[in-house]
This record gives sequence, C-alpha cells and structure tokens, in this order.
Amino acid sequence: MDFEPAYTPEQRAFRAEVRAWLDDHVPHVEGDQDSEENYAKYRQLGRELGEQGWLRPTAPTEYGGGGLSIDHAIVLAEEMDRHNLTMPPYYDSGGSLGGASILVWGSEEQKRRLLPPIFRGETVTWQLLTGPEAGSDLASTQTEAVRDGDEYVINGTKIFIGGSHGADSFWTIVRTDREAPRHQNVSWFMIPADLPGITVERMYLLGDGGEGIGSGYKNTIYFDNVRVPAENLVGGENNGWAVASTHLELEHGSGGRIGRNVTFERTRERLRSLPSNGAHPLDDAESRGLLADVFMETEVQRLLGLRNFWMNRSHEEMSYEGPQSSYFNKMSNLRVAQTLLELLGPYTLLDDTDEFDDQQGWFASFQRNAIVQLHPGGTADIQKVIMARRIGIGREVRERAGKTVE
Amino acid sequence: MDLSLTEEQQLLKQSVEDFVAREATREEVVELAESDLGFSPEHYTRVAELGWLGAAVPERYGGAGMGLTDAAVLFEAFGYAALPGPFVSSAVVSALIVEEAGSEEQRAALLPRLATGQAIAVLALTEAAYGWGAEGVHMRAHASGDDYVLDGVKLFVHDAIGATHFIVAARSGDGAGLSLLVVDASAPGVSVRRLDGFTGSECVVRFEGVRAPASAVLGEAGGAEAALERALARATPVLCAYQVGGAQAAFDMAVAYSRERRQFGQPIGRFQHVQNHIIQLVNHVDASRWTTYEALWRLDEGKNGAEVASHLAKAVTSEGFVQAVNFSHEVHAGVGVMHEYGLTLYTQLSRSLYHQLGSPRWHRRRLGDLLVDHDMGPDPLE
Repeated sequence: MDFEPAYTPEQRAFRAEVRAWLDDHVPHVEGDQDSEENYAKYRQLGRELGEQGWLRPTAPTEYGGGGLSIDHAIVLAEEMDRHNLTMPPYYDSGGSLGGASILVWGSEEQKRRLLPPIFRGETVTWQLLTGPEAGSDLASTQTEAVRDGDEYVINGTKIFIGGSHGADSFWTIVRTDREAPRHQNVSWFMIPADLPGITVERMYLLGDGGEGIGSGYKNTIYFDNVRVPAENLVGGENNGWAVASTHLELEHGSGGRIGRNVTFERTRERLRSLPSNGAHPLDDAESRGLLADVFMETEVQRLLGLRNFWMNRSHEEMSYEGPQSSYFNKMSNLRVAQTLLELLGPYTLLDDTDEFDDQQGWFASFQRNAIVQLHPGGTADIQKVIMARRIGIGREVRERAGKTVE
Repeated sequence: MDLSLTEEQQLLKQSVEDFVAREATREEVVELAESDLGFSPEHYTRVAELGWLGAAVPERYGGAGMGLTDAAVLFEAFGYAALPGPFVSSAVVSALIVEEAGSEEQRAALLPRLATGQAIAVLALTEAAYGWGAEGVHMRAHASGDDYVLDGVKLFVHDAIGATHFIVAARSGDGAGLSLLVVDASAPGVSVRRLDGFTGSECVVRFEGVRAPASAVLGEAGGAEAALERALARATPVLCAYQVGGAQAAFDMAVAYSRERRQFGQPIGRFQHVQNHIIQLVNHVDASRWTTYEALWRLDEGKNGAEVASHLAKAVTSEGFVQAVNFSHEVHAGVGVMHEYGLTLYTQLSRSLYHQLGSPRWHRRRLGDLLVDHDMGPDPLE
C-alpha cells in the first residue's frame, strides 16, 4: 500500500508551471471574501484558467475543456488548494455536476453548445434539486415541464438554491409525465436564467454568508410559465432518473478528497494562542485529550476521503464508500464541533478578527457549518439509506454505484 | 498512491484463508475457546511450518523478513477466523522487542526460535496497578551475585498459557530504570494461571525468587524503555489488524444474517433500524481498517508520524472492534449469543484485545501528549 500520491516527472514539471502561473494570477483580495468586488476577481481568474484549459482540465478540448490527464487535474486541484481555492474558484454547482452529467448523457450537439461556456468559465450555473415538496424525495418534484411545440413550459418552485452572486443558467430536474410511474417521469433541463417568468428570491440561512454549501444566502426560484427550448432537455424525456444517478453519485462523496487535516492544525494553532489561567491549555491533560479527540475524528474523515479519492481515480468499483464518507463527515463534524465548544470555550464562537479571534472567524464558521452541512448532497439519513442499498440489505437486489465517467 | 494489496499480499491472504477454512473451522474454534489451553498447539506448529511465524522476523534471523503490512495481512485473516493462540504475542510483539532491545547475540539466539515456533515468548509487563506504560512497572529485579532475582506478580499477561519464555519488565539497577529479562517459563518459582471470567488468554504469572542470569537481560540493564516503546509502536498496528479481521467478520455475519432472517414477512435488513446497526458497524470497521493500514505503511516506509499513527490506530481500532461486535449483536438478537453460532468468539476477543497493548484511553493520552508538538509532516501535496 502507498498512502501518498506519487508524482511523475511530468507532473512535477507541470506543477512548477502551474504554481508560477497561479502566483501571478490568483488575485489579492481584502476585506469581505464574498464582496461583489472580490467575487468579480475570482470570476476573472476562472476565465483565465479556462483559457489555459485548466478550469476543467480533464474535459475534452472540443467542448472547451483542457483535454488533460487525471494526473494534471490532481496537480491543478492541489495547487489551487495551496491558495485555499477550489476548482473552479467560485460556486458553480450546476457547472461541475451538470457538466459531468451532460458529458455522460448529452447529445453531441448539446455537448458542443452547452459545455464550452461552462468549461471556459464564461458562465455560472446553479443546480436546482430541492423543491418545497421534494427534498430528500427528489423524485417527487412537483416542478413540471409540459411540451408545447418546440418548447417546454415550466411551472413550479425550487428552494435552497445557489449563492449570493446570481447565475447564468439553471441545471434542474422536473416532472415531465404525470401518469408515468415514479422514476420514469422526470427529466433534466439546462435553463437560461434570464428567461421570462423566472423570479429569484433570496433566503437567509444559518451559514456564514458567501457562496457554496455553507452559504448563509440561498434562493428560491419561481418558474411561472417559463418557455424553454426542447433542445435543452438532456438525456431524453423521462430518463431523468438515470441522469440523476451520475449527478447524485458525485454529490454523495464518491469523488473523495486528498489534503491536509486542516481542522486539527487550526485547532492546535488556536489553542496555542489562547490566554491561560496558570497552566496553559496545551499543558493540561484534559485539553490534550480533547485535542486528541479532534485528531481522531478528523483523521478518520481524512482517510475515508483519501480512500475514495484513490478508488475513484483508479476506477476501483465503488459501493457504499461515497455515501459512507459523506455520512461520516456530517456526524463526525457535529462531534468535533461539540468538542471544540469544550476545548476552546466561547472563543470557538468568535468572528472577531479585530480583537479576540486570530483565525478570521474560521471556528465560528465551523460551528455553523457543522449544522448546515447535515443536509446538502442528501441528509445524513438519506446517505444511510443509500449505504444500505449498496451493502445489499436495503432491497432485493444490491444497488450499484452510479456511473461518474463516460 | 495505491491502497490495494500487492499481488503477493493477495496470494498470502488467500493462502491463510484456505488454511483457516481447512484447519480451523468455526466449530473447531468454538471448541478451542472452551478448552483448557484455549488454543491448539497443532495449529501453532502448522503455522510455523508454513513459515508464517517468521513474518515479522528479519531473514538473517531465520524469519521471512516481510514488512509489517504483510504480517498484518496474515494476522488480519487470523483475526477474521478468531484463531486463538500466541501468534501475535510471540511472533510479533516479543520478536520485535528482542529485535529492538536485544544484543546481536541475543537476537541471533532467540529470533530463529520464535520464527520457527521452537520457543513461544510472551511479554509480561502489566501488574495489579494496571497500565501499559513503563510507569506501570513496579516489579523489581534484584541483583544477586551474577544473577537477578525476580519477585512479584504480573497480571493480565496475554497468551501466557503455553509460553516457553516470558519477557519480564522489571526495575533494576541504581536508577531503577526499566529492564527486560527473558525468563524460562519452566524455571523454578514461575507459575501461571489462566484468569477466570469473561476472559480469553489473560493469565496471572507469579515470580517467586526466580533466578535469571545477567545474560537474560535484553540489552542494557535499566535502559530498555526506549527500545520497548519502539517495539510496541511497531507491534501495535499488527495486533490492530487482527482486530480489524474480527470486526470484518462481525460485519459479514451481520449482513448475511440480516438477509436471511425474516420477520414480519420480510428480511430484517429491510428495516431501517437494522440497517442503521449495520451502517454504524461498517463505519467502525473502515475507520479501524484505514487507521491501521496507514500506521503500518508509515512504519514500513519510515514515514513521519509513525508513532502518532500507531497510537491513533489502537485507540480507534480497540473502540471500533467493540462497537462492531455490539452492533452485530443488535442485528443478531438471540442467535448471536448462542455459543455454537460463533459471534461470541469475537465479542470476547473484542473485550480482551481492547486492553492488550493499551486501551483507547491510554493511547488517547499518549496521542494528546505527542500531538502538542507533532510535526504533521510535509504537505501531502508536495
């Protein structure tokens, strides 16, 4: 076994190139990370990465991707991580997951039309899954598309969507047949966000503001007789559940993760700078024990993510591992959050960079996100349902993992 | 990065599984657990003949010179079968202690005998005031002429029944530092009794005026602490692999049972409460498995943080094995507590091995101390 990535000479050379390029191009941002001004800088970085073919490195060049190997993609993701950035460097859920789905399920014409703007960083796409009536029970979505000539007319509502800076397109699943059996009645659409009849209304949530999963800003999207060209239906009418298997597999953690144990390192750093009454917390046996608890939880999280990363990249057949990692992280972070309440005391709640917090609000975010992250990508309970099916006990026939690569 | 077993490891795993299926069926293992000795000397001899006892012993001392990961693959398969015997205690723990603490002469004399099964040596460290650190060792080895005289009681000594030698931890010399003495189990004044209770191989070993020559001291008298720590850091994740095997068996039994057992007109695996037991169970199995094998990799490859990883593995795996078995019992209900069914073999093992080489609480304590200044190593991305 080898728990470390081994880099080829080619990867090393590529890393040097990427590192130098990123040092030149990653914008300097000040103040609120999520301000409009800073967001514009990250979008610009995305476009520049797109020109390099680095934004979606493994996607085929004919669709605007980089046509690079997985080895290159790993290096790019890692080098972005050094700057505390992801690829892409902004929230683009529909671009990442929808793009992957279109690559597997789209027609040639759709791939040529829909993918380049995503892969070149020209547009931002939100995924729209949850509805007021259909959260975990995604297949029961009441948002409906009815065919009318060369168009579909869409009506309904999706909630908990996107972030604070708007999107160009929506990638969404809707019902296309009222009579057909469950799972044979849904379809996917790529919908331009500026079509008449679309209304976006902000929701205010527990998250710490900004973009992404822990965002304090989500949106409700209303569709009122929105006319979408039929050519934007992806994967065939009423074939949406098959398309969803690709999408959901990626969302359920099958991609894995490689990287440092940031939570532990931050915790130790914060502990080190805490004022003390006599014996410093780091010299106190009980505090050390709690620090060890944080380490044990987060190392298991890291190792399950590493295992999934390896399985995914080396095309090992996966079963329950994706939802396992997702479920474990959700529950483990709740435990870690409670340990931090004890270990760091009220300091763990602070976002008070000016005076009492030397971690830029990182721990306050952790406390909020431990709660917020219980539901995105499927609730903890849904992850368990999927695990049971994959283990082969939930149903008569053992369920197989969804297809994530063409 | 490659988290799969090598081809050689897969072959080894297959051979061990074949051996176990042939020579140690579940019925036999259940019977062995009830026997006076608690294990089969024939099994021990057969495993020695197959060359597996020498897994963790370097070739120049008559071993197979495998890596710790290879040894772990072997002992995980033993754990899966709940195969009882002083395999890990003698061929791994004691062998590594001799390798780390012994002189060249002592290594050459002892290791080949451990690797071939001619000798079975087990560590006698813990005492009535139970603890796995050097601080738990109070027994004295008094100098008497050229000899040492041992007086005292070692408690919760695993696999002492059937042992030919004990590696006794005792305090000797002016500074009262830690010494390790190799004592013949048949020496006058040594007595062994298996402890009754919900126990496995735990014994009390008494030393009453037992004389051991100065040559019995591994390395330097009073200076064995660091070598003992090194040896235990290496041996611990191999024991963890045995636990991982047991936890995996508890999982496989629970899955199989939840599919075949029908209640209320359907397999009980359809019930979400039952599914939840199995999900918690597999999470414990996988947390144990990956912390264990990462520690083994760090040790084999001389990576940074091996000691921390070893403590982490035992803390996670001892807890994981107990929890895995508990959840398996929740799935099995009444059937699970029938001796003949076999789950209780793992139940008992999970309790005994919880303590062997240190409980989660002890390892958590060591982790806490080490983590304060632990160098997390080079960025994995470099």
